[in-house]
Amino acid sequence: MKITVDDGLCDGLGQCALVAPEVFALDDDERLVVAPEPARELAGKVAAAARACPVRAISVEES
Amino acid sequence: MREVVVVGAGLAGVRAGESLRAQGFSGRLTVVSDERELPYDRPPLTKQVVSGTMTESDIRLAGAEDFGARWIRGTAAVGLDRERRRVRLADGAELPYDGVVLAPGAKARAWSGAVPPAGVLTVRGLDDVRRLRVAVDGGAREVVIVGAGFVGVELASSLSGLGVRVTLVEPFGRPLRALGAAVSGVVAKAAGRAGVVVRLGTGVRGFRDSGGRVAAVELVDGSVLPAALVVVAIGMVPATGWLAGSGLALPAGRIHCDERLFARTAGGAGAPDPGVVVAGDAAWCDAVRAADGPVALEHWSNAAAQGELAARNLLAGPAAAEPYDHVPSFWTAAFGLRIKSVGLPGTGDRTVVEAGDPAVGAVLVAHYREGRLVGAVSVNQGRLLSAYARRLQEERMVGRGNKTVGT
Repeated sequence: MKITVDDGLCDGLGQCALVAPEVFALDDDERLVVAPEPARELAGKVAAAARACPVRAISVEES
Repeated sequence: MREVVVVGAGLAGVRAGESLRAQGFSGRLTVVSDERELPYDRPPLTKQVVSGTMTESDIRLAGAEDFGARWIRGTAAVGLDRERRRVRLADGAELPYDGVVLAPGAKARAWSGAVPPAGVLTVRGLDDVRRLRVAVDGGAREVVIVGAGFVGVELASSLSGLGVRVTLVEPFGRPLRALGAAVSGVVAKAAGRAGVVVRLGTGVRGFRDSGGRVAAVELVDGSVLPAALVVVAIGMVPATGWLAGSGLALPAGRIHCDERLFARTAGGAGAPDPGVVVAGDAAWCDAVRAADGPVALEHWSNAAAQGELAARNLLAGPAAAEPYDHVPSFWTAAFGLRIKSVGLPGTGDRTVVEAGDPAVGAVLVAHYREGRLVGAVSVNQGRLLSAYARRLQEERMVGRGNKTVGT
């Protein structure tokens, strides 16, 4: 699974980090940090996190 | 199911449409909206759109054109006949349905007293923001905002950033008061630093009119605030007047729905109607509850999640439908502060500052009720919130587990 975040769109709103905290987190400056290689079984949660993004900054490619 | 009608083309309605198609619904899908606009996203309106950092085309809801719906724009739904399964429209047309998604949203609450014919606005939709920008670009340099909830505070921030002199009046004493005293204090201080005059604890007596335009706002304490423009930002009312004859339960004007988002009928046990699901700001859902009953949620994340599930459950039918399982969350930004919340902070009986320091404008406030976590609010401490969301989720699973044991 390949996760791409569009930095131009991401506003650090952190909704993804609430849905899939195993994969998404905010740093001290509320900028998004994405785990490098999320486990395959998290695919459902990652998809939900992408849908929860208010600015549609997250795209996911299944591998 | 062959015909589905979605009433409302805001986020909840659009997500419902997308979700119907994603679930393989191939029948006729009609979306009805009283607005003429293409679907758009509301959170940026009072922030980026007023500030001018986003344009109207930036806030169009992506995906709305893609799900093969018949769009009826600029025509309000005026009635729901559940017996004959018809949505009645303002132009007299009737739309038959097998299933209907009610996502009508809300309107800005209007001032209850007399207002001058010109210069007093409410802000809820894109049209309102256009009018606001026209007034400001046309030279309104002195604006009074009545109400320091989310809309009032965001507008105060955006307008002061444009060089407008803003006075923010909050009769109930604190800005964003549902978030707790510590957060209100941080917001009030930041507003003051940005040059906004904050008047707390004083109500509005009325408006002065000069040749049909507002000239000033009179406060209860006798002070008079000159104003070229007034924004009344005192909350929203669900757009459900048209459902009055529908036989649905409408407590305080909201559409009461069960844990699976099926609309409850009025009277008796409030049996849910399997052909009617509810989503968004107008919903009053049994699955979103505080200790003493359901709570209305007027947030983006709720509209998105309910729209998606309502559509899925409508197709699945009540027996296979899933309960709405969502930790509430929202965000706002004003005066350089990033404010976010999880859970239902307004429903607590005690708040605890668990990180940061209100004095430096960064704070995490947890809200408890009878010792149990019910919500958390962050100002510039957003990285801490997901742990609170997880705790809220765990508490809920415990709660649900207990209920299952009991039945």
